[in-house]
Amino acid sequence: MSIHSLMFGWEYPPLHLGGLGVACHGLVQGLLKNGVRVTLVLPHSHDSSGEEYDVLSPTEKHLESVRVRSMLSPYITHDQYLRKITAVSKEMQQVYGSDLPQAVAYFTEASVELTKDVNADVVHCHDWMTYGAGMRAAAYHHRPLVTHIHATELDRTHFHPNQWIYDMERHGFEAADCIIAVSNYTKGILTQHYGIAADKIRVVHNGSDDEIINQARYSLDANLRRNDCPMVLFLGRMTVQKGPLHFLEMAAKVHGMRPDVQFVMAGEGGMLDEAINRACDLGLKDCTVFTGKVNSREAKKLYQQADCFVMPSLSEPFGLVALEAIANGTPVVVSKQSGVSEVVAHGFTVDFWDTDKMADCVLTILRENPLALQLKSEAPKGLRHMRWEHQARNVRSIYSDLITS
Amino acid sequence: MNKPPPSICLYFQVHQPYRLRDLRCSEIGQPDLQYFDEEKNRAIFRKVAEKCYLPANALMQELVETYPDFHVAYSLSGIFLEQCEAYGPDVLESFQRLAATGKVEFLAETYYHSLSSLKSLKEFVQQVTAHVARIEELFGQQPHVFRNTELIYSNELAHVARLMGFQGVLAEGADHLLKNQTPNDPFVPPAFTLPTTVRNAVRQHRPYAKAARNIAVLLKNYRLSDDVAFRFSDKSWIGYPLHADRFTDWLVNSGGHSVNLFMDYETFGEHQWADTGIFEFLRALPAIWQKRGIRAVTPSQAIRTARGWERQVYDAHAHISWADTERDLSAWQENHIQRAALDALFALEELVRKVNDPELTRRWRLLQTSDHFYYMCTKYWSDGDVHKYFSPYESPYEAYRRFSHALCDLHHRLTIHP
Repeated sequence: MSIHSLMFGWEYPPLHLGGLGVACHGLVQGLLKNGVRVTLVLPHSHDSSGEEYDVLSPTEKHLESVRVRSMLSPYITHDQYLRKITAVSKEMQQVYGSDLPQAVAYFTEASVELTKDVNADVVHCHDWMTYGAGMRAAAYHHRPLVTHIHATELDRTHFHPNQWIYDMERHGFEAADCIIAVSNYTKGILTQHYGIAADKIRVVHNGSDDEIINQARYSLDANLRRNDCPMVLFLGRMTVQKGPLHFLEMAAKVHGMRPDVQFVMAGEGGMLDEAINRACDLGLKDCTVFTGKVNSREAKKLYQQADCFVMPSLSEPFGLVALEAIANGTPVVVSKQSGVSEVVAHGFTVDFWDTDKMADCVLTILRENPLALQLKSEAPKGLRHMRWEHQARNVRSIYSDLITS
Repeated sequence: MNKPPPSICLYFQVHQPYRLRDLRCSEIGQPDLQYFDEEKNRAIFRKVAEKCYLPANALMQELVETYPDFHVAYSLSGIFLEQCEAYGPDVLESFQRLAATGKVEFLAETYYHSLSSLKSLKEFVQQVTAHVARIEELFGQQPHVFRNTELIYSNELAHVARLMGFQGVLAEGADHLLKNQTPNDPFVPPAFTLPTTVRNAVRQHRPYAKAARNIAVLLKNYRLSDDVAFRFSDKSWIGYPLHADRFTDWLVNSGGHSVNLFMDYETFGEHQWADTGIFEFLRALPAIWQKRGIRAVTPSQAIRTARGWERQVYDAHAHISWADTERDLSAWQENHIQRAALDALFALEELVRKVNDPELTRRWRLLQTSDHFYYMCTKYWSDGDVHKYFSPYESPYEAYRRFSHALCDLHHRLTIHP
């Protein structure tokens, strides 16, 4: 049976900025390999200059992409949107929407309109900004709706949600015929905090295809690792969700035992200044480097230089960065409050608040060569079972179930 | 003419490890550092005592007193006996009452339930000697049959056991060595002479003054043992529900000289909970056996009664054990961290002996317990198999983290020792 999916998704990001675009890209590629036809709708703020970012093999005959003018990007907040929109002309503001709710409404309207002639079997949308479009399209075409959840508002805000966004999410979950959650952890959040019935939720862990990491080509930065000093890496947005301050707390404890250890914090975000100040307060000024935003190539280099990667997220639906670190042969210590901890068999998991233990795991990895070697060699083997082609097979079977029922 | 039924040889392993504390780097070298989780070890001991040791011993007492032809054997690790003294004198007394019936045999093993046989002959023999002394002290009998940790066995080990003075040794009846022979027949190891250095080392530290002339090998019938130990309550198993009379049919049909049913004692009440009917099953067996003229014998009795039988050679060049489906050493020595941990531990042997501090020697020996390495096994971890079921830690890496801290601390103490 040939299946056609109308998907409201996100672009593969030119910069290393969270996993949503990466996951959509991987899933679409995986679905195509499983013989699923995909019409992919993407918010797109550049008219034609953006084409070069398109890595979705436009020659693929089963893939059609529809670009909708919009300044939406994953994880953008109300304030960030306002800052972005005020930078463009008044005329364009009217096209994109003058604030976040309006931008979402415009995107929904336009993307449903542009896909009226698409005769798909199933409608699939990714995270709350596309749920409106998904619901409208599913109703218009009388097709089953799949809402995919990669990160909830509760994850992003450490359980202090913006009510409007939370409501949009819940509305999307309720309207869905099936919800795909990226982890059991996220499934738990949906059942406990959104009141969604567990039997409506299917878990499909994100995949990991190393070639995605290799695709981007950017200039390489200097080697951040000092000669013989061990290096411990943080990579992620500097937001409350990712736990940068917990990383620093851990770093201070490691530093107390091993003053030779270097810490690298890669990524930018609202908490960057706070993190820098905290590093200074903790006496970590001389052993911590803040790199700012990094591209995929730089990220890869950092993973490879690091002796240990730590993901101290407070609430992480999945945590693709941990799989990237593993793919690059870096031992990982990940927060138990994450989806990726469900699939990492060769690594340490700790509660994000237990920075004592986090530090101890890092120190053990740095001290014990046999351990580091085993984590380096064994963890990547586990990724073989997590290729997108395999994960997409599960999504395809969810489609089949919905279409036949 | 009907052949006489085989006898049944029951041996139960009784062991509890000392589980490690959540040690931290920052504690290494601190005075009075405790390696082991006293509270957890006590709690687990008491839980298993209530669910298994006490009710199972009470039942055994009743059975051996009721049925003249019913005997059993136990192997109690030295550190289990220590935990009895610390956490369960009631448990120890119940074993002593069983010993007093004269119908229960106690086997010899390494005191620390250790992997020493793989690393140091001297250490291995010393631990067996310490264990033999303890058994004699507590139960008033000398063990004449040896069983190594987790039934780890090889030809060489059989001869070392013979040189130590044992008349019998237990081993797994591994398919690849049996090659369609029944494990129920009496076996011997292939005859060969150990090197002089080995003989001298054994002679110097062995528990008994004289080597035994011959040693018999009793092989575990793993199919019938596992029917009870692993499958008894498995509803998807074709043999479910298992009743004593049907099981007895299987035992009789398997023929040979003696059916050796070897298993963890915790099978009764702990691995198979009381509500599965495991105790009723056990209680029903001796009555049926008596009716059908089947004797339940101890390993020593099984060896004695086999004297008229033709003995087959059991040839184990490489190590075997009773663990996992592989029946080899991979449960403890498969991955990098397991091997590194055991190597690093035995790399300290010379220093431990030189320093010769009783407390540090004891710590070194407590770290040799096989369970520490079993918990580091990654073979099937993600499938949620038995390693995960038995592990007190959340992952093999957590096991290694704790162990490596203890080892670092021990190394530190040995180095700074005056």
